[in-house]
Amino acid sequence: MHRVIVGKERVVRLAVTGLVAGGHVLLQDLPGTGKTMLARALSTSVGGTFRRIQCTPDLLPSDITGSSIFNQKDLTFEFIPGPIFANIVLADEANRATPRTQSALLEAMGEGQVTVEGVTRTLKRPFFVIATQNPTEFHGTYPLPESQLDRFILAAEMGAPTDAEAMEVLARREHGDPIAELESVVSLSDVLELQDACLRVVAAPAIRTYIVALLQAIRARPDVLLPASMRSGVYLQRAAQAWSLFEGRDFVLPDDVKLLAVPVLAHRLSMRGRARADVMIQELVSSIPLPPLRQH
Amino acid sequence: MAAVKLPRLRLPASPVENSLEGRAFVFSGFAVSVLAIALYGQDYVVPAVGLATTALGHVISYRGRMLKRTFRGQVVLASLVFGALAYFLADSVLAIFGGVLPQANFAIALVAVTSFDLKTRRNCYSSLWISLAILYLAAVYAWDYVFGVLVALWAAYLAGFWMATHLRRMEAKLNAPPAALGTLVLGALAAGVVGFVLIPQPGASAPTPLVVSLPNFVSFKGQLENPALPLVQISGDPSGATGSIDLHFRGRLGDTPVMYVRTGAPAYWRGLVFDTYRDGSWTSSNRSFVTLQPYVPARLLPPAPPHNLGTFVQVFRVLRPLPGVISAAYPIQSLYAPVSALREDAYGTFHTPDVLKPGQTYSVVSFLPNLSADELRKDTFAGGAAGQAPEYLDAGGLSAQARSLAIQAVAGHTDNQFDTVMALTNYLQGNFQYSQQLGHVPAGRDPVDWFLFDVKIGYCEQFATAEALMLRSLGIPARLATGYSTGQYDSVLNQATVREQDAHAWVEVWFPNHGWVPVDPSPGFSALAATQFPNRWAAGGVARLIPRLELGAPLAAIGSFGILGVIPPAVAIALLLVIVWAWLRKRHWRGRVRARPGESELLQLYELVQRRLGRRRAPPETPLEYRHIIRSTLSPPPPGGGLGTGAMPLDSLLEEITEAVNEGVYAGRWPDPKAVRELSNRLS
Repeated sequence: MHRVIVGKERVVRLAVTGLVAGGHVLLQDLPGTGKTMLARALSTSVGGTFRRIQCTPDLLPSDITGSSIFNQKDLTFEFIPGPIFANIVLADEANRATPRTQSALLEAMGEGQVTVEGVTRTLKRPFFVIATQNPTEFHGTYPLPESQLDRFILAAEMGAPTDAEAMEVLARREHGDPIAELESVVSLSDVLELQDACLRVVAAPAIRTYIVALLQAIRARPDVLLPASMRSGVYLQRAAQAWSLFEGRDFVLPDDVKLLAVPVLAHRLSMRGRARADVMIQELVSSIPLPPLRQH
Repeated sequence: MAAVKLPRLRLPASPVENSLEGRAFVFSGFAVSVLAIALYGQDYVVPAVGLATTALGHVISYRGRMLKRTFRGQVVLASLVFGALAYFLADSVLAIFGGVLPQANFAIALVAVTSFDLKTRRNCYSSLWISLAILYLAAVYAWDYVFGVLVALWAAYLAGFWMATHLRRMEAKLNAPPAALGTLVLGALAAGVVGFVLIPQPGASAPTPLVVSLPNFVSFKGQLENPALPLVQISGDPSGATGSIDLHFRGRLGDTPVMYVRTGAPAYWRGLVFDTYRDGSWTSSNRSFVTLQPYVPARLLPPAPPHNLGTFVQVFRVLRPLPGVISAAYPIQSLYAPVSALREDAYGTFHTPDVLKPGQTYSVVSFLPNLSADELRKDTFAGGAAGQAPEYLDAGGLSAQARSLAIQAVAGHTDNQFDTVMALTNYLQGNFQYSQQLGHVPAGRDPVDWFLFDVKIGYCEQFATAEALMLRSLGIPARLATGYSTGQYDSVLNQATVREQDAHAWVEVWFPNHGWVPVDPSPGFSALAATQFPNRWAAGGVARLIPRLELGAPLAAIGSFGILGVIPPAVAIALLLVIVWAWLRKRHWRGRVRARPGESELLQLYELVQRRLGRRRAPPETPLEYRHIIRSTLSPPPPGGGLGTGAMPLDSLLEEITEAVNEGVYAGRWPDPKAVRELSNRLS
């Protein structure tokens, strides 16, 4: 995948972590920083079906979920699945869709199922949504509501490339697009296996204590308008499990939790005034004491 | 994927933990107050031990400043505090080591105990405040300007500690330009010398600089008539210098407190002394006096009597207007009374120009001569040629009947003067009754004869007068002393409450080698009224250093609190319950899971390595972060590449231990104890 994405190991790794943890990932940054490229590269590497939804204000829920169309040959209604019925879905510029459409996406992301015209259809596993969001453009956008933000296991920012990285990007693009040459390196069943392995990673009681302490500390902060939900704690633990899998460990370290606290928690907190959630979480992470090592 | 950059840890500001200067200031402040106790409380054992223990405690708590407090450690500290409390109670009752300041000893013990646990700024400040309290206790017994120097030192240490902690917080160095400081000190000294030379000084002995109360410039010529010295009829002079005692009159005495006396030993508080008896009335024949400054240092007073056991301090607090007589234990070593002037009469009693007002205090240091029966028995008869004034042998018209009674009473006890005196004293104590229901002396009847042969009951002054005159008739010099008996002495507080009814009269008998020895013929009083330290151990030289504990002592101490005595046991029980509760709660948290094999060993080793590295893992740091920080600070890679050689083994050891700790704590896979032992072998 590094043939496609230059630098940005952290973001790539976070995105893969989201996939292995069985969640969905939100990428936020300015246009042209490689969000879509990352999502495409990831889906290509994994194999499986990939669909892309380009969100616009006139996008309808049925454009995502699919709808029944009258088949004039059979004289029956035939369900034509929408782009959501895929293993990897890229919801590009998700904040441009109307709230109605966003909520259709929400159900799919939350429950792994879609209800169209009264019939509930289960989505295939693995089901992985990468949504991108452009945080600076406000004209004609519907910022994702907190409930929807809460469903993304983690949010990552691409960040600006360094000079060397930018040069490398230009060099690779000189004779075409490297993504065309990308082949899948893992199969879908590998992904499912990884997801199972992730569930078997040990999160010791000390880790749980630490996560709870972190959530409580966030709750206690006066500049937090909407505190971290219970779900965010669950996600933090799961993401930490997936991350330790990458580190080759079968147990979670507090370092994993510390590292993932900002990507997992920051995007779902509403802050008062100009306070920044990521700064606050970073502060808390570096000041909250670990649970004592000695427990007996 | 590259190693993720570790965030910089924001450790909480810890100005004191790492400030060696701050600790030095705290310890010095304590040392100053301990010095004050040693100087003024004349108590040496506990202060010395406390100071040494505190120094040790500072070293230990500084080394372990990054260590977490352990439950066991806290329990040990708490029990030590209780031990100090128990010592306080025992010391109050028994005066272990002869201390007169059990409260100060208790405070010193507290500081010594808590010095092992000085972690935060608050701890250090409380240590300093207890030092201030100790200084305050020393102030009760102190009056000279050295004490002022000690207070100034303490304040300087407080300021130094404050400055050190704040400089440490600002991460600034404690640094001063030596040239400027030197100039400042030398300049101040020079200015002081010049000022001392140029400012006119009083011609006589220099006034002590620490006279706090303003002199009120009253001369010794007041016209006040003050009846408050119950036994003495004061005429004219409020200083009491011209009083007399007339056995024909006696006022009624209430139980109103007259004064409180803080004292190292219960004693008789001697006031006026009379030597001439005529027609039922005592007067003083010698009216000469010396006028002195309010602070009378020891060099202006007679030297220590032979067989002196030591000195003890009394602080008197006057509760009701009293004539200007300084009551104090006799003989006096030095004294300080915040009045305009003092006058010492021919009998060693001090007078003030005006009445003593309620709230007034004065301090007296008295000698404590060894007046035991054995000592006094060795003394010879004074006889008539002891250089004493003839009035001390003038029986003042004692009847022949009384004289023969005296000879009869001492018959068979004339081997030495002491036995003779005691025989007469015991005779009076045994054959006459003390009563306050005494009628008036019939007109024309000699009061002594009336007492000895008619009613056979009397007050203290009847007994004392009879004894003094009978002794004189036997050729033994004697005189009448008045003042107050000890009063209600509280050995816990070292305080005597003296009431009106404690007004007393007794006899002073001249022993050639011991001077005037107090003898009390009144029934119910000890015949030899010599002052003694609160327990016999305290008085006995080396024996003062041997602690003596009795089972009943703490109980007696608690009992002396009266109804308040329930408080110490209640507090003790409550604290015990709290400790048990905390312990049970901790047990509950731990569940019933025992530590796995290898767990304690590994974590202990981890602690040891941290200590060896000189920087402990901060609570928010994960073991991995700690290792990274250690690696970056401990052995910065030399520019040529490669790691510093010296720290190499320790670093790789830390890496292994960190991995093992992570594996153990977060995966529950603890290493084999053998493997841990191997690791610790590598450490050593």
